[in-house]
Amino acid sequence: MTPTDHSPAPRRFVPLLERRYTLELRQQLGWPQQVAIIAAAIAVGLFISGAILVAAGVSPSDLLDEFIVQTFTDPQNLRAVLFQAAPMVMVGLAAAMAFRARFWNLGLEGQMIFGAIGATFVSLHQIGPPESRLWLMAGASLLGGLAWVVLPLALKMRLGIAEIISSLMLNYVAANFLLHLVYGAWKDPKDSFPYSPKFQPFERLPEVFDGFSSAIVLAAVVALAAWWFVDRSRAGLYLRFIHANQRVADAVGVPVRRLVVASVLISGALAGLGGFMVAAGQEGRLTQAFYSGYGFSGILIAFLARNNPLAASVVAVVVATLFVAGRSLQVFYQIPFSMVQLIQAILVVCVASSDFFIRHRLRAVGSQP
Amino acid sequence: MDLVANWLGNLPDAAVPFALAALGLIISERAGVLSLGAEGLMLVGALAGIGVQLAVHEPGIALIGSMAAAAAVSVLFAVMVVWLRVNQVIAGLALVFFCQGLTGLLGTLLGWTNQPVTGLDAIALGPLVQLPVVGRLFHQNAVVYLVPFIFAGVVFYLGRSVAGLRLRAVGENPQAADAAGIPVLRTRFLAIVAGSALVGLAGGYIAVISTKLWIAGMTGGRGWIAVGLVIFARWSPWRALAGALLFGGIETLIPQLAAAGIAMPQYFVLMTPYLVTLGVMVWVALAKRGADETPGALGEPFLREERR
Repeated sequence: MTPTDHSPAPRRFVPLLERRYTLELRQQLGWPQQVAIIAAAIAVGLFISGAILVAAGVSPSDLLDEFIVQTFTDPQNLRAVLFQAAPMVMVGLAAAMAFRARFWNLGLEGQMIFGAIGATFVSLHQIGPPESRLWLMAGASLLGGLAWVVLPLALKMRLGIAEIISSLMLNYVAANFLLHLVYGAWKDPKDSFPYSPKFQPFERLPEVFDGFSSAIVLAAVVALAAWWFVDRSRAGLYLRFIHANQRVADAVGVPVRRLVVASVLISGALAGLGGFMVAAGQEGRLTQAFYSGYGFSGILIAFLARNNPLAASVVAVVVATLFVAGRSLQVFYQIPFSMVQLIQAILVVCVASSDFFIRHRLRAVGSQP
Repeated sequence: MDLVANWLGNLPDAAVPFALAALGLIISERAGVLSLGAEGLMLVGALAGIGVQLAVHEPGIALIGSMAAAAAVSVLFAVMVVWLRVNQVIAGLALVFFCQGLTGLLGTLLGWTNQPVTGLDAIALGPLVQLPVVGRLFHQNAVVYLVPFIFAGVVFYLGRSVAGLRLRAVGENPQAADAAGIPVLRTRFLAIVAGSALVGLAGGYIAVISTKLWIAGMTGGRGWIAVGLVIFARWSPWRALAGALLFGGIETLIPQLAAAGIAMPQYFVLMTPYLVTLGVMVWVALAKRGADETPGALGEPFLREERR
């Protein structure tokens, strides 16, 4: 914040508070500085979160040891993180796909629910032979998620209704529909808990190399495909054009409507696949609240990764770590799981605010009126 | 007849949170700030209200606490969107999840969860209570009676006062307002904080007056419905009040019907407020009556140095 006075006159010191400041838009800032600013923002966010946890009664040494060192050194914890990361990658990619088309898909949780419902439908009705059952379940989850994004998409394209509200409202509708199923027709007759009957062993996502779930392999494949789509394909190039300026893209003949529809449908389908991963991977059945927290996590992941699929995968692993650590906090310290939401929100606030310093700078213009 | 009388009697109580939250949102959106954070601010208002009520057992003070807490938290949002020019959608979503996390954590740590409090007694408006069918409309708590006056005050402020005119100018065309010497950023900042206080009051009303209890996530999407309600009302307070009565009416009709022995699948019933919100948005889009009343600069940050 040094005054950059270009006049040859001798500079005299002006107290900081008496200077007048103006904001300037920066020209492009070099990427090392950008990375440094974002890293500093994340550090600030983590520090605030850590301070809250310590204030809530978590001992600082545990915080470091149990939740950071243990997670990455203990193979069991690492497996848990990667297991958790698979659906996170899916919702992150789903959000990124929609955001690339400037569509605020806040209905990720509803689409996850209908993805899981689709997969469970295939399992309950024993559709197809056992050897292809898992593929059919995955396909049904893609369709379920896609179907649940059609309504807000159609409302936006046809009537210009803000998708922010419509897609969000549909989350609550989907959540109640899920409850209707797990407390009603799809309830496991064996006991009185609200979940569907267990999937059969061949309807579960199998383990591959040494206890790692195949969900993470599937997620990695999808992430690579998504990266190819947005970074290498013609459609991805067009999408970037649409993101930058829809009107100009339309004027020069980019098929805007078709591409927006396609990427939003892909977004819904990917979220649906995420629902399948939780149901067929972690839970092994349809449960009543498996989706909670994924919607915002997906938005956070896409935001922090700037809608880049590969970066989204990395951020998803970090958020998954937070989820796993959050669950142990819940068990060992009775810290409610909403702490995870709080930490995510703090990180978003810090990174979003840091963007200001990437795009602007404060300039002092001296004290003279 | 009993059914209708009960329904009308319960309707204002259900409509008040929608009305107050929508009114708060209208203030900030008329100044050009898209406020998606209502759901979170309502939770903050609800928790703070219960906290104060548990301490002082004075609902009036508890509701002031709700307003103050939501206004204080909204300063964070105001700094982000007004000064740091963060994308208003991202900032609004972050605010919701910040508040959900914060209230969930504090509610548990402070032990305010599931602690019943005393609310407000209903006041009978003299002989009006004796009227057939509509009588129970005149047997409500003090806040319900206050709501029309709050609305009248805001309508007067926005529509008739110089300060309100300036606020709307900032929302319609900040460049022109700036040229006319109106402090754009300060106006927006204050609009956010004042509007958020009303949203907080809505949350406090739910917790302290209606349910008399705090549970994490207890607003259950009412904040989002209020955001939809503002679109339905096309940023007009009186239409928002009408919309709030509509939503309150639907919310209270369903348990009345169930109590009357009309069987309905429970979870489909719980979907109705959200489906009605969607339906209302479709209706507004199809009707498209009158001019487009969306504030011209809604959602756009302002920076004087940026030429457009």
